[in-house]
Amino acid sequence: MTRSDSRWSGLRRVFRLPASAERLARDVDDELRFHLEGRIEELVAQGWSRAAAEAEARRRFGDYAAYSRQARDIDFITHHQRRRMDIVDATRRELRQSARALLRTPAFSLVALVTLVLGISATTSIFTVLDSVVLRPLPYPAPGRLVAITHPVSGAAVTAGHWGVSPAGYFFFRREARTLEASGIYATGTLSVRSSDGAARVMSAQITSPLFGVLGARPAVGRLLTPDDDVPRGPVVAVLGYGFWQRGFGGDRSIVGRTIDVEGQPVLVVGVAARDVDLPMPSAFASQADFAGFSVDVWLPLQLDPAARPVNTHPYTMLARLAPGASAADAQRELATLTARLPEIAPSAYSPAFMRQYHFSVAATSLQTQVVGASARVLWVVFGAVGLVLLMAAANVANLFLVRLEAHRREAAVRAALGAGRAHLAVHYLSESLLLAVIAGAVAILVSWGALHLFIAVAPPNIPRLASVALGWRAIAFAAVLSIALGVAFGLIPLVSRRDVDTATLREGGRGLTSSRTTRLVRDALIVGQMTLALVLLAAAGLMLRTVEQLRHVKPGFDPRHALTMHVHIPWSRYAGWAPVAAFHRTLQEQVSALPGVRGVGGATDVPLVSFGFCSIVFVEDHPLAPGEVPPCVKVTEAAPGFFSALSIPVRGRVPDWHDAEAGTAAVVVTRALAERFWPGANPIGRGIKGNGSRPPFYRGVGVTDDLRGEGLEKPPVEAVFFPIIPIREAPLWQPPNDLDLVVRTSLEDPTTLVPTIRRTIAAIDPAVSVDRVQTLTSVVGHSLARVSFILALLAIAATMALVLSAVGTYGVIAYLVTQRRSEIGLRMALGARAWQVTQLVVGHSLRLALLGAVVGTLAAAGTTRLLASLLYGVQPTDPATFIAAVGFLLAIAVLASIAPARRASRVDPVEALRLI
Amino acid sequence: MPAPSELDVVRGTLDLMILRALSWGPMHGLATLRWIEQRTRGELQIEDGALYPALHRLEQKKRLESEWGYTDSGRRARFYRLTPAGRRHLTAELSRWERYTLAVSRVLAPEPAQ
Repeated sequence: MTRSDSRWSGLRRVFRLPASAERLARDVDDELRFHLEGRIEELVAQGWSRAAAEAEARRRFGDYAAYSRQARDIDFITHHQRRRMDIVDATRRELRQSARALLRTPAFSLVALVTLVLGISATTSIFTVLDSVVLRPLPYPAPGRLVAITHPVSGAAVTAGHWGVSPAGYFFFRREARTLEASGIYATGTLSVRSSDGAARVMSAQITSPLFGVLGARPAVGRLLTPDDDVPRGPVVAVLGYGFWQRGFGGDRSIVGRTIDVEGQPVLVVGVAARDVDLPMPSAFASQADFAGFSVDVWLPLQLDPAARPVNTHPYTMLARLAPGASAADAQRELATLTARLPEIAPSAYSPAFMRQYHFSVAATSLQTQVVGASARVLWVVFGAVGLVLLMAAANVANLFLVRLEAHRREAAVRAALGAGRAHLAVHYLSESLLLAVIAGAVAILVSWGALHLFIAVAPPNIPRLASVALGWRAIAFAAVLSIALGVAFGLIPLVSRRDVDTATLREGGRGLTSSRTTRLVRDALIVGQMTLALVLLAAAGLMLRTVEQLRHVKPGFDPRHALTMHVHIPWSRYAGWAPVAAFHRTLQEQVSALPGVRGVGGATDVPLVSFGFCSIVFVEDHPLAPGEVPPCVKVTEAAPGFFSALSIPVRGRVPDWHDAEAGTAAVVVTRALAERFWPGANPIGRGIKGNGSRPPFYRGVGVTDDLRGEGLEKPPVEAVFFPIIPIREAPLWQPPNDLDLVVRTSLEDPTTLVPTIRRTIAAIDPAVSVDRVQTLTSVVGHSLARVSFILALLAIAATMALVLSAVGTYGVIAYLVTQRRSEIGLRMALGARAWQVTQLVVGHSLRLALLGAVVGTLAAAGTTRLLASLLYGVQPTDPATFIAAVGFLLAIAVLASIAPARRASRVDPVEALRLI
Repeated sequence: MPAPSELDVVRGTLDLMILRALSWGPMHGLATLRWIEQRTRGELQIEDGALYPALHRLEQKKRLESEWGYTDSGRRARFYRLTPAGRRHLTAELSRWERYTLAVSRVLAPEPAQ
C-alpha cells in the first residue's frame, strides 16, 4: 500500500528547502482533497451519482474550511518547532565537531588559545583603565557643560604652567561673563579638627557659595552654604563631607546645629553634603595631594570681599557651568576679552608689563580634560602599545589558521566533493574559530581581572580615579565583542584565501608539496609584520629603560638614605606670629634630636621633591628693576636651622644657625642654579636678595648649595632661596611657618621604627600639634620616578609579550612548514644534502623574514618613538644604540625560535620521507 | 442526516484509535478512517474531517511521522506511521484503557447474587 522511503528522511529534511506558508497550506489541501476524492469514488462505486456522491462526501467530511485551517495551524507550529530543534541540533553537532577538530591538533589549539588570551586580556585590561579614568564622565549633572578656568603663563621653566585665578579676577569674570551661567572658586588644604581622640587632619575646601550650584550638589542633612554665609566677616559655619560625617561622627544627624573645633575655633555645622558631592581635583596650590584618594571632609566659605584691593596672587581654582547655548570656545573667547581688560579694572594687581612678561592669558578647558590631563596621554600611548600586541596576536593566530588550512586542503576537497556547499564549509570553519575565540575570551576575562588587581597595586598614585578601576560589564562586553570579532575574522580567512577547492587536489594525492604563492606571501607578510611590531615595542621599551637608568643617576642634591619626612601642623590659634612658631620649632628640634638613633632634625615650609611646587617673586639687589619690568619668580622656603644637615645638603660657605635666626642677621642660603642666574661667575656670598619689597635692607647670602632637584628628578636643578624662620623687622617674609615639613635623619636602616617615638615626643610638647604624611626620603625619591617607571614597566611587559608572540608565531609556522615539506627535505637529503645544510635552510628562512621585519621595523620605530619624546630623559627618541640592541634581540629570538624545527628537519629520515611521495 | 446511534467521540479516544490503527502498519488518512469504521462496525460515526487535526497533532507530538508517497493506484497521498515513541505511548494507553473500563464496568455491573 505504501512505498516507504528512506532512512535518510531526517537528513533530507535538513537539506530541503525551507517550507513557506503556501507550501504547508498546499500540502494540507492535497491531503484533504485526496480524502474527499477517495470517499467520492467509494460512493460512486456503491452506485451514487457523481454529484450526489460529492455532496454526501462533503457532508460526511464536516466543515472542510475549519478542519483545513486547524490542520494547517498545527502544521505551522510543528514546522517552527522542528526548525528550532534542527538549528539547536546542528549547532551542537558543529560545536562537537569543532571541539574534536581542535583537540586533534593540540599544539595548534593551545598556541592559538594562549596567544589569543594574551592579546584579549591585555587589551581588555587597558580598556578598563581607560574607561574608568579617561572615558567615563565626571559624576556631576551635565558634566560636559563644566569648564575649568585657568591662567596659562609662560616664562622661565620654573614658572610656566597654569595658574589659578585671583579674587579680583574671579569677581570680575563672574560679574561680566555672559557665557558662564554660574561659577565658583575653591582652595583645598588640610585642617585639624579636634575630636575626643585628639586632633585629626582632614581635607578642607574653602569655596564661594555658587560652587555647590556649579557642581549640582545636594545636602544629605541640613543645608549647604548660601551667599549669606559667604560675606566678609560672616558667620563661622561649615558643611561636612559625607564620608567624614560617617567616619568622624558616626552618621549622627544631630551634629547639624552643633559646633566642632576646627583649628582651635568653634565652627557651626549647618549641614552635611550628599554622598557623591566632591571636588574633581585638588586646587592649584595644593601640594602632594593624592588625586586618587582625594575627598573633601569639610567645606568652608571663603568670605572674600569683592571690594578689597586687588592683589596679584592666584591661589584659587575656578569652575564654571556654561550658559545654555554657549560652548567652551565661546567662553574662551569672552574670557580672553575680559582678561585683556584686567589691567584697566585692577591696575594695582595687573600691570601691562606683568601681562606681557608672563604672557598672561586665560584658558577655559572642559573639566574632563583638565582632570584627566597628562595621564590621558600616557594611557593612550599604553593603549596603542597594547593594540599593537593584539594585532600581533591576531596576526599570529591568523597565520596558524592559514597553515592549518593548508594542511587540511585534502579534507576540504573531500567535503566539497561530498556536496558541502560554500556556505556549509563557511559554517564549519567559522564554528571552529568562534569556539576557539570564545573560550579565549572567557579565559581572558579571568586573566584581566587578576591583571587589574596587580595594576592597581603598582600604579603610581597620581593617576586620577584609579580607585574606581574595576572590571565592569562594559569591559566584559568589550572582551566579548573583541573575541567574537576575532573569531569571525579568523573564520573568514579560508573563504578569502582559497580559490575553489577542486578535485584536482584529490587527484594529486594530497601531497601538499606546493602551496599557492599567494598564501605563502600572505604568511610571510604576517610574520614580517609581527617582527616589525615587535621591534617598535622593543625600541620603545629600550628607550624607557635608558630613561629610567639616566634618572636613577640624577643626584637629588641631598642624601635620602636613613631619613624621614613628615608634615607638622602648628595651630594658628595657639601659635600666632613668628616668635611663638620659632620657639616651638626650637623646642621640637631639641627634643627630637635627643632621641636615640636621631642624627639631625630640621624643618622648612617646603622640602625638595616632597613639596617644592610654586614660585614667589623676589628682588635682587644687584639687579634693580627697570620701569615696567617684572620681578623674577623663584622658589622660596623658610628653613629652620638644622635643615641642611638633616638633609645632608652640602653647602659652601656657612649655614645659618639659631643665633642667626634670633639675632636677625638676615642670613640666607641660595642654590647654585639661582646663583648662576643672578650672579653668573661671581661669588654669591654677601649678595642681597629679598621677598616682599625691593628696597634695602636685603637678606644676604651666606652659603651656596650644589645642584638641588626640587620638583622632579627630570627637571633642571631648582633656583631657590632658603630664608630664615624669623624675618628681620624691616624685611618681612610671607607668613610664619605653621605648616612645616620636618626632616629627621637617623642612623637606623629602617627609620620608620622611630615614628611612634617621634609622635609621642611631639604630642608631649603639645597635643594640639598634628603629624601626618610620614614617609621615608627614599620612597619620596622613588615616587618621583614613579611615572616613568610605571610606563617602563608597561612597555616592558608589552615588549616581552610581543617577543613571546613573535617567537611563538615563528616557531609555529616554521614547525608546520617543516612537517609539510618533509618529503621535499627527504628528497634533498637523498640527493646528497647534509644535515647542517638542511638546518641552514630552515633557520635561513626564519632569519630572512626577521631581517626584513627588522628593516621595516626600524623605519616604523623611528617614526613612532617620537610620540614618547616628552617622557624621555637623557636619551634621544632615535638613539642608535637602543635601536641596534633591539634589532639584535629580535634576530636572536628569530634564530632561537627556528632552531628546534630546524633540528627536527635535519633528522628527517630520507627513506621515510620519500615513502610519502 | 445524522444517524440516530451516532455518539460524539472524545478526542483522546480518537487519538488512541488512530494509534491502534496504525500499529498494524503505515496508512494514509482515508485508509485509517476506513479501518476504524470497519472495526467499530459502523457503531461510531466520526466526521471525516475531524481525523485530520488529530493526525497532525499526533505528528506534532512525535507519536506519528508522515511522508508523502504513492498509493497502489498511483495517487499521491500522505502516509502516517507510528514512531517508536508512539508505539510506547500506545502500549501504555492500552493498558490504562483496559484498567479503566474494567473498573467502570465493575461499578456498573449488577449486584452479584449472594
